[in-house]
Amino acid sequence: MSASSTTPAWLLQSEVGLCPCACVGKRRKGRIIEKTTSGIAALLRQTLFSDDIADERGLLQRLDARVKVVSLLGLLVVAAFVRHIPVLLAMYAATLALAAASKLRLSFFVKRVWLFIPLFTGIVVLPATLNVVTRGDIVVPLGTWFGHHLGLTRQGLWSAGLVVTRVATSTSLVVLLTITTPWAKLLASLRALRAPRLLILVLGMAYRYLFHLLNAVSDMYVARRARTVTAATDTTSGRLLVGSSAGALLGKAQALSDEVHMAMIARGYEGDARSLDTFRLRLVDIEFVLACIAGAVATVGFDRLLGR
Amino acid sequence: MHIPDGYLSPQTCGVFGAAMVPIWTTAGRRVRRIVKSRYVPLVAIGAAYSFLVMMFNVPVPDGTTAHAIGAVLIAVVLGPAAAVVAVSIALTIQALFFGDGGVLALGVNTFNMAFVMPLVGYAVYWCACRNVPLTSRRRPIAAGLGGYIGMNAAALCAGVELGLQPTLFHSANGTPLYAPFHLSQSIPAMALAHLTVAGAVEFALTASVVGYLQRANLPLLRINHGAAPPTGRAHAPGPRLGRRWGLIGLATMIALTPLGLLAPGGAFGEDAPSDLALGKYHLTAIPSGLRHYAGFWHNALFDGYGFGHDNHPAMGYLISAIVGVAAIGAVIAAAFALASLRRRSPDVDDPLEAAKT
Repeated sequence: MSASSTTPAWLLQSEVGLCPCACVGKRRKGRIIEKTTSGIAALLRQTLFSDDIADERGLLQRLDARVKVVSLLGLLVVAAFVRHIPVLLAMYAATLALAAASKLRLSFFVKRVWLFIPLFTGIVVLPATLNVVTRGDIVVPLGTWFGHHLGLTRQGLWSAGLVVTRVATSTSLVVLLTITTPWAKLLASLRALRAPRLLILVLGMAYRYLFHLLNAVSDMYVARRARTVTAATDTTSGRLLVGSSAGALLGKAQALSDEVHMAMIARGYEGDARSLDTFRLRLVDIEFVLACIAGAVATVGFDRLLGR
Repeated sequence: MHIPDGYLSPQTCGVFGAAMVPIWTTAGRRVRRIVKSRYVPLVAIGAAYSFLVMMFNVPVPDGTTAHAIGAVLIAVVLGPAAAVVAVSIALTIQALFFGDGGVLALGVNTFNMAFVMPLVGYAVYWCACRNVPLTSRRRPIAAGLGGYIGMNAAALCAGVELGLQPTLFHSANGTPLYAPFHLSQSIPAMALAHLTVAGAVEFALTASVVGYLQRANLPLLRINHGAAPPTGRAHAPGPRLGRRWGLIGLATMIALTPLGLLAPGGAFGEDAPSDLALGKYHLTAIPSGLRHYAGFWHNALFDGYGFGHDNHPAMGYLISAIVGVAAIGAVIAAAFALASLRRRSPDVDDPLEAAKT
């Protein structure tokens, strides 16, 4: 994939300095601080990777950002109203087709959606399949518990399946929107859709600062590790370090805020912001909107046909 | 606590989204009025900071991790209105880019974590620290307590929102269409995780950062504490309005205590043995232990919050309330008197004063 040619290779490694096949070096269980720094690296990696994907020339990347926002959020609302698993599965299949048409690697897309939220959802809703939570007809008996029959109920399984497929479909739609749209265009499209101008301004600045502060956090931990001679085992000092680092970060953030404010005033900021992005609807945008409307109507129609 | 899309009905999401619009508008206006044009970078930084705080994961014994939200910390440093806007923006970025929390459920998540949490937590902090010096040791504890209570209030809201789904939205045969857990299951599940681990993490982070700012960056703490005396105890006595209102509230509650007589029945597990519905519990006689120990203490001054007979129950309730409040007040006053006797060292709340001595 072309993403690997634009994203630095070292950033795609899970642990810098170790061979990806684990033949060199020794992996050890990280502590809180290491986990936080690795989380930060993962976040940067994910964002850079998303920017790479948004630059591809697939179906969704070619669409007007406003059209994408309205269409995919509309489908999100439709998914929330659907009451039958087969209909939701059909919607999920449609998201996979959209991902393929947008030149997303399907394994990456499926992993991104299924590895985190829906699997977690599955674990959370698993107890709901038991008859002690959702009463109904037991279809998989699991024995007795203090004289009471225990088992999975048909209603519980259906309910859990409904939640998992709905979460998977909803997450897929949001991932499709965000991964195929550069952040600046997404914000400009929200502004074009009459979102408050200052909300967009703050949102855009917060996103930019995020990476600045991420670097600050990373630097602070690297500096700490560079000054640590032996393996730190004292949990009290570790806790103090986290508290002090968070406090120091707040101070740095405030100083940055003052500097940015002065820079804004110097550049003529008077409480309003202007966007340079202009949008123009093309035939492919209109075709996509019509296809989404047709898909939504068909989805709702099939769902109603299957009963309430 | 980041509820994903699919757990809540679109109707629930719509109601909470609509409820958040006036909250966002009011918070935006307040922030703009207080800090003028500086608010754009300040709130943006607050949002980025809240996002980062959520990355400070702490391992939990069951193999998962918990993290703080930082909403109360931002409320303490920048003010509650700024916290509402900043945490809302952090949650929006999380929902849009990192799949943490749903896009449709954004109104619900912001209601819990960007509205309920900072306001409840800040109220606790404000009540505990009015007119207290900025360097007082009470402030970090109060801020931490605010974080703990704020997070648990938000978790309670999330538990209620999830628990209402199967009751309100189900198919014709009763199968839940969204989150399948009832209130009796969702509230304890949320409470257990947040009362034990997540709340403790929020307490530790908020208290330690406020403590650090007291030691190392007091000007930052002054942004939202313009009226607070900077150091020492020698400050002008604040208005005694709080104490007066507290006494008025207490008197009102005492006057209203006879309303308790209107409630039918008794509390579970508090019935006299003779009043037990034995058949309901498949019993034929009162358990011997219960019968033996039921009348262990006969010397209560106001047995059953009355005079032992039913001639003037309302008066008995009132006098019980007055005597109870007076007794509690006497115990607390005695404890404070004892504590002040034991305090031999000079006041060390003020590091400058401590350095001089």
